[in-house]
Amino acid sequence: MSGRVIVITSGKGGVGKTTTNANIGTALAKTGKKVVMIDTDLGLRNLDLLLGLENRIVYTIVDVVEERCKLKQALVKDKKNPNLCLLAAAQTRDKTAVTEEQLKDICEKLQKDFDFILVDCPAGIEQGFQNAVAGASEAIVVTTPEMSAVRDADRIIGLLEAKEEIKSYKLLLNRVRPNLIQSNDMMSVDDVVEILSADLIGIIPEDTGIITSTNKGEPIVNDEKSLAGKAYNNVARRIIGEDVPFLDLNEPKGFVAKMKKFFSNLKGETK
Amino acid sequence: MILANLYNKVMGFFRQTEPEEVESAKDTACNRLRVVLMQDRTNLTPELMDRMRRELVELLSKYVEMDKEALDLSLEQDGEQVALMLSIPVIRAKDEDEIKAALEAEDKEADDIDDDIEEEEAEEDESSDEEQVSEDEETSDSDEPQEEVEEDEKD
Repeated sequence: MSGRVIVITSGKGGVGKTTTNANIGTALAKTGKKVVMIDTDLGLRNLDLLLGLENRIVYTIVDVVEERCKLKQALVKDKKNPNLCLLAAAQTRDKTAVTEEQLKDICEKLQKDFDFILVDCPAGIEQGFQNAVAGASEAIVVTTPEMSAVRDADRIIGLLEAKEEIKSYKLLLNRVRPNLIQSNDMMSVDDVVEILSADLIGIIPEDTGIITSTNKGEPIVNDEKSLAGKAYNNVARRIIGEDVPFLDLNEPKGFVAKMKKFFSNLKGETK
Repeated sequence: MILANLYNKVMGFFRQTEPEEVESAKDTACNRLRVVLMQDRTNLTPELMDRMRRELVELLSKYVEMDKEALDLSLEQDGEQVALMLSIPVIRAKDEDEIKAALEAEDKEADDIDDDIEEEEAEEDESSDEEQVSEDEETSDSDEPQEEVEEDEKD
């Protein structure tokens, strides 16, 4: 077996890299694929929290590199899905604790046992980014329809294009707000795709459910009713190679949206 | 909620009566982003663009009388390629004597080589990639200065 190593990156912080990682990883594992996630954000680890695994971590990637444990010992199994593992970042060390070569080596070893190795990249374009990208051959660039996030994504795309090892990269547009796009207050999916001229792998709507799912340590893909969860599941299916159409986000779906619509119609009639 | 909706409706009514020309937030974002990404991708800062613009005005003024303030120089993305777009409102075509006078004044100051380079720059409106090409052209375009000489002889 030779697994695919995909780095999930963005440049800008707070656009949803780690959330994307946790959800795509969980969604891929649900399809029966063997998945390992590597958190390379040394000193600022969070992937463990999103997966609800923070209390199970014994060894980290730094322990592996400094040979205090075997690679397999450091892999933390997911609570629900035995196909899913996490290699956590060290919280007490900085980005220099692991080198590009060491990360490459870890990825190569994991490729033998896993279908997918998802590398969670830290924000920024410094050494942390270089390390995370080192072992990967594919990339997912996470961005949001905001100017600063798109600009940073453009920088990252430029850096990825300069790397020979990266064979392909795809764009994931996160935190999309259809109502703001409809009122021309936010850049549309098409605008961002055109400006960055990159292929799209997913459109994730802004979803308050993300907050509760993070609080519970339970990725939103496990919530059947969530639109963001559906969108992330679709991304996973596209990664596997299925041809899945993008969700139509324009129709108001939630109860609140329906009530708003109802009342606004009512107002219209009484006028 | 009814009140909120009523408020929105009223505000919406006033918004509709405003002229449509107001640029939407989305368009502003797109336009600003395009400009800033061009700068990021080409390493051309606004200062450098302004300098390029001034130098072009100086250069082109020798050949045509133009609206110097209205000369518009911008970078645009054309598919994969970045293009340098130059738009020059010409006020009046200069007559031959004027052009000649300007060029003669130039010739006194500078060598022939400089003329070559400037001639090519005037023709160019393409991307930065062509800078290297233009070096090659310098040698092959050696007949162009001769045209000027011919004109000189006619008068």
